[in-house]
Amino acid sequence: MSSIIGGIKKRFSHAATVSASEQTAPVPANVEFKGYAVTDANNWSTFDVIHFQPKTWQDTDVEIAITHCGVCGSDVHTITSGWGSFPTPLVVGHEIVGKVTRVGAKVKGFKVGDRAGVGAQIGACYSCRSCKSDNEQYCPQKINTYAGKYPDGVKTQGGYSTAIRAHEQFVFPIPDKLESRYAASMLCAGLTVFSPLKRHGAGPGKKVGILGIGGLGHYAVLFAKAMGAEVYAFTHSESKVDNIKKMGADHVIVTDEEGEFTKPLTQELDLIISTRDVSDNMPLNMYLKMLWVHGKFISVGLPDKPLPQVMAFDFEANGSFMGGSHIGNKKEAIEMLNLAAAKGIKPWIEELPMKDAQQAVERVKRNDVKYRFILTQDLA
Amino acid sequence: MSKAEFKGYAITDANLWSQFNVVEYQPKTFEDDDVELRIAYCGVCGSDVHTITEGWGKIPTPLVVGHEIVGQVTRVGANVKEFKVGDRVGVGAQIGSCYKCRACKEDQENYCPTKIDTYNDKYPDGVFAQGGYSTAIRANQLFVFPIPDNLRLKDAASMLCAGLTVYSPLKRHGCGPGKKVGIIGIGGLGHYALLFAKAMGAEVYAFTHSDRKVEDIKKMCADHIIVTGSNPDFAKSLEMQLDLIVCAVDVGAGMPLADYLSMLWVHGKFVMVGLPDEPLPSMKAFDFLCGAFLGGSHLGNKKEAVEMLQFAAAKNIRPWIEELPMSKASEAVQRVKKGDVRYRFVLKQDISPIDVE
Repeated sequence: MSSIIGGIKKRFSHAATVSASEQTAPVPANVEFKGYAVTDANNWSTFDVIHFQPKTWQDTDVEIAITHCGVCGSDVHTITSGWGSFPTPLVVGHEIVGKVTRVGAKVKGFKVGDRAGVGAQIGACYSCRSCKSDNEQYCPQKINTYAGKYPDGVKTQGGYSTAIRAHEQFVFPIPDKLESRYAASMLCAGLTVFSPLKRHGAGPGKKVGILGIGGLGHYAVLFAKAMGAEVYAFTHSESKVDNIKKMGADHVIVTDEEGEFTKPLTQELDLIISTRDVSDNMPLNMYLKMLWVHGKFISVGLPDKPLPQVMAFDFEANGSFMGGSHIGNKKEAIEMLNLAAAKGIKPWIEELPMKDAQQAVERVKRNDVKYRFILTQDLA
Repeated sequence: MSKAEFKGYAITDANLWSQFNVVEYQPKTFEDDDVELRIAYCGVCGSDVHTITEGWGKIPTPLVVGHEIVGQVTRVGANVKEFKVGDRVGVGAQIGSCYKCRACKEDQENYCPTKIDTYNDKYPDGVFAQGGYSTAIRANQLFVFPIPDNLRLKDAASMLCAGLTVYSPLKRHGCGPGKKVGIIGIGGLGHYALLFAKAMGAEVYAFTHSDRKVEDIKKMCADHIIVTGSNPDFAKSLEMQLDLIVCAVDVGAGMPLADYLSMLWVHGKFVMVGLPDEPLPSMKAFDFLCGAFLGGSHLGNKKEAVEMLQFAAAKNIRPWIEELPMSKASEAVQRVKKGDVRYRFVLKQDISPIDVE
């Protein structure tokens, strides 16, 4: 690891000593943007190294030499075509951490050498109501970190790569006390659960249910506990129970497909975050019964298939709500990272070099990971 | 105190769902917390039709429906302080609860898991709850609402289910000045939602399927009227515009639910008060990526009922009703089934009429 960082420092030592005015100079010739890409959708787990065109540099941008990138369920949904067709070649990965190598003239929050991260969003319009109300993740013109397109036509390529450029709004400072390998997967998985937990009241005196204890779900347990809530973790797998207890869940419930497990919890929970990635056989109407009056069931999992059918009656019994959530805003990202640093929150990760991306994505597809893969830089 | 007898227009054969016959029946066993009233009027609710057509499941017979009940108090139990004989009062769609669970203790009695519906339900002692197409009813005082002096009983009647069912979610989910509120389906409930939302100060967007109600909706003072049937792209210009949508349509399948949700601002709520017989359209998790919520609501609590009635009296809110004698219940329910009413029937009790307005 330190030799990789040493290598990057050596390569960019020129940038580290450059004065502020020179940081807006044209791209140094030795910055390469290359990454592990899927080039054929029929061979979804085969990665080939490609060079790609990065975002056109602007003075609001930050450029990062990537040291770590988490493997998100989204990466797998995308490259398996589970979410529809995707453009090739495609470099996925949106849980990115690295070192800042260049900052635009208008950038206030970063300087060269800072550790910074980028998550699942890389652009927005910056002028709509969403963007102006700290809801940039809900901007109708948002740009995704990969498989998206900038207004000038450049395609967005993700973090299984050497470097990335992003508008400062989508770059998050990593606190000193938080290691990069732990921070990486917070930038999508962590934020995706932290935002709804925060916005919908997780905290002391509240009972929060987490459905599905995987990449996102285990973060939800760790954060909900750190926020002071009483945590009910639901898993369909007996084998995860011990681990979930170690994560600090107050209650661990093994679920059944008929929903019998919900009965003793009628009207008990204030909030349920569902990270489940399968919608088949999910007794959604029974999960809703566990909610207290006006409680919310928020699905952050995005299964390929439709959700189970529900009837209006299912919400009537307790005036409950079902909804979704999309990542979080920058303020929440920073708050989350600071909380993680302050409370020593460490996700459960497995590290692999980036060249082993194939193994990582295939194992994620099989749910065979405790509980997030982190790919470490090996191309630069 | 004039004696209340308990007789009503009942369905006696579920295969003849709109044929009513007068029956006598056993009322709730009188208890110290109870209020008894002779009925002057009863509104005809969509629930009545869903029930007697067995759209919501099989029914026992004989069954007297009706849960938008107004009348005059004839008797009060020893624990009742709020009401006295002669008071003008109403009863809505709920007639009992457990009084001791968290919901009951936190002014959420309408969400009590062991609540008792005004009709087609059973008291713990086994007595069957019969509704308001009848001469009289008894109810626990928690489910009896005082009607303000300057609100006519026939106008108050349908507020007790239809009105309350929309008033509660409008209130709880922030309807008021500065808010944009969508009302989908301008029928019995929907027209109340429109009238209340306007009176609460919101900017109201009324969604209706066809042209036929547009003139009426203008008179109800909606700020915007959107005819959805003729315009499949109705949601596009309203993307992320609305803070709250109350949906009072009675259809499940085929409803453009994803389009409706797309009109909500971040974390806006789509609250269903219509209760179709069939499931909602299939949804994907992606339809919720705007951070919006889909949910429901059940009636309202007593505090909201009282507040709503006073609000209606103060702001002179009058529903659009058609009055019929109770003996014409058959015509009323058949026309409700076809959607042929502007916008609520109110039946005047005629088995043993009382002289109170």
